[in-house]
Amino acid sequence: MEYLLTLAILAALSAVLAIGLNLVLGYGGLLSVAHPIFYGLGAYASALLTMQANVPIPLAIVLAALGCAAASVPLALCSLRVSGDYFVIVSLGFQLAVLQIINNLEITGASGGLSRIPTFAHGSDRNLICLGVLLVAVAATLVLVRTLVQSPFGRALTAMRNDEEALSALGRDPVRMKISIFALSAGIAGFAGGLYAHIFQFLTPSQFGIETSTALLTMVVVGGTATIWGPLVGALLMTCVPQAIQFLDLPQAIGGPIQGMIFSVLVLIFLFLRPQGLMGGSRGGGGLDAWSGRRPGRSSRRPDVIVERLAEEVGS
Amino acid sequence: MSAILQVIGLRKRFGGIVVADDITLGLRPGEVVGLIGPNGAGKTSLFNLITGVIRPDSGTIMMDGVRIDTLRLSERAQMGIARTWQHARSFPSLTLLDNLLLGARDYPGDSLLRTLLQPGISRRMEAEAEQRAMQLLERVRLAHKAHDLASDLSYGQQKLLGMARALMSEGACLLLDEPMAAVEGRTYAIMREVIEQEAHRGQAVCIVEHNVGFIRDLCSRGVFMAAGKVLADGPVDELMKMKDLTALYFGAAA
Repeated sequence: MEYLLTLAILAALSAVLAIGLNLVLGYGGLLSVAHPIFYGLGAYASALLTMQANVPIPLAIVLAALGCAAASVPLALCSLRVSGDYFVIVSLGFQLAVLQIINNLEITGASGGLSRIPTFAHGSDRNLICLGVLLVAVAATLVLVRTLVQSPFGRALTAMRNDEEALSALGRDPVRMKISIFALSAGIAGFAGGLYAHIFQFLTPSQFGIETSTALLTMVVVGGTATIWGPLVGALLMTCVPQAIQFLDLPQAIGGPIQGMIFSVLVLIFLFLRPQGLMGGSRGGGGLDAWSGRRPGRSSRRPDVIVERLAEEVGS
Repeated sequence: MSAILQVIGLRKRFGGIVVADDITLGLRPGEVVGLIGPNGAGKTSLFNLITGVIRPDSGTIMMDGVRIDTLRLSERAQMGIARTWQHARSFPSLTLLDNLLLGARDYPGDSLLRTLLQPGISRRMEAEAEQRAMQLLERVRLAHKAHDLASDLSYGQQKLLGMARALMSEGACLLLDEPMAAVEGRTYAIMREVIEQEAHRGQAVCIVEHNVGFIRDLCSRGVFMAAGKVLADGPVDELMKMKDLTALYFGAAA
C-alpha cells in the first residue's frame, strides 16, 4: 500500500512537471531540455528558505516558484536569439551549469545533498496527505494551462507557431509571449520542486540532471505535445512502466540500462509512427497544429470542402 | 497635406547587393501610391525596412512625426503601419475569424496576466474585436467562411483574408505587397473596391504591383524604383510616358 502511494506521489509530481513543460515545448514550440533545473532550483530554494530562514513551508514554496519564474528569464532571452537544435544545446548548457553550481556550493550541501528538510505532513497518514495535496496541484495546473491555451493568449501562441513574423507584423509581441510562457512553466516546475523537497525531505543534485530531462520529454512526446491531457497520460505511463520492470526481478546491472532503453525506444517509435502522441488528434500532427480554443466549423478533410475549394481555385 | 509616413535617406546593403540606396519618400493620407520597378529593384525590401522586418544601415523613418526606425516590428505595427505579404501568410491552423482577431489594435491576449486574471475585460475586448472582424469579412465577401480554417481557402481568398487582417488594426498607413498577383475576376474587383474605400477613409496606401493597368486605374502617384534607387516620383501618366523607365522595366528588348 505504502509502495503504491509513493508511486502515485511520484506520478503526480511528474504530471505537474510534464503539464508545465508542454506549455513551452508543445504550445510554445520551443524545445527546451532544461525543465528539471527549475524543478531543482525550486526544491533547493524552498528547502533552504525553511531551514535557514525559518520561512513557513507554504510561503517558501510560493517564493521558490516565483524565484524560478524569474530565473527562467535568461533562458527565455536565449531562445529569442537561437532556435531549434541550437536552443536545445543552449538549454542543456544552462541546465548543466546551474547543476554544477548546486553541486559545488556549501549551502546546498554540494554533491552530498540536503537532508532533514522540514515537512508539512506528519503521522501515519503522511503519504495520503501528500498525495491529496499533489492531486490538487495536478488539477490546478491542468485548469491553469487549459484556461491559458484556450484564451486569446493561446490563440496568439498557435499563430506564433504558424508564422512568427506575420504575427509580429500585426502588432503582437512574440518576445513577450515567449518570456511569459517560460516564466509560467518554470514557476510551475519550481512549485513542484518545493512540494518534492518537503515531501521526500532529501535532495541531491543528481535528481535534476539529464536523465530527468529525458524522462520528462518522453512523457510529453508520448502523451501528446500541445494537448491538454497528453502530458498527464504520459506521466502516469512513464512512471508506472519502469516500476513494472522492477518486478521482473532482473539483476541490477541490466535493470538500470533497460529503463533508459525503453524511454529512447518509445520516443523513437512515437516520433515515427504517431508524432501527435497518444492524446493527439487523428490528423497527423493535429495536436501541434490545431488551436483548442475554437474548433473550425468544417473539417478541411471533408470531400465537399475540398471540391468547393478546387472549384473556387478554378473559377476565380 | 503633409506626409504621415516619411522615409529619409534610407540605405541598406546585403554584402554587395544594395537594396536601398538613399531612398527618400513620403506617403500622404488618402493617397494611393504605386511602387513599380523591375524584379530586384528593392520594392519589397523597402516594405521590409519600413515595417521593421529588416533594419536599415542608415537613414530615418518617421511615422506621424515620431522616429520609428529603431522600433521592433510589433511596435511599428502598433504605431499604425499595416501590411500584407506577397504570399498572404495567413495562419493556416486558425479559423478566418481567429486570423482577424489577432490583428486587433487592443488584443486581450497581449498580456498573459490579463488573460488569466481579468477574463471579463478580456471577453469584452474580444466581443468588440469580433464585431469589427465580421464586418471586415463581410467586406471581402468571406463572412460565410468565418469559422473555416484559413488553410481551406483558395489562393485568391487567402489574399483577401490577408487584406482584411491588415485592416483590423485601423492603422494610418497600409503597405500592400502585390495584392493582385495571381488574382483575377471577382477577387480582383473586391480587392480594388476595398483599396479605394480605405484610401477614401484617409489611409495612406502604398502598393507594390506589376499589373500596370491596375496601377494606372487606382494610383494617383507612382514611384519608380530600380537597383535600390528611386528613379522617378510623380503622376502615373507621366511616369508611363518616360521612355527610359519603360526600357528599364521591360528590359533591353523594349
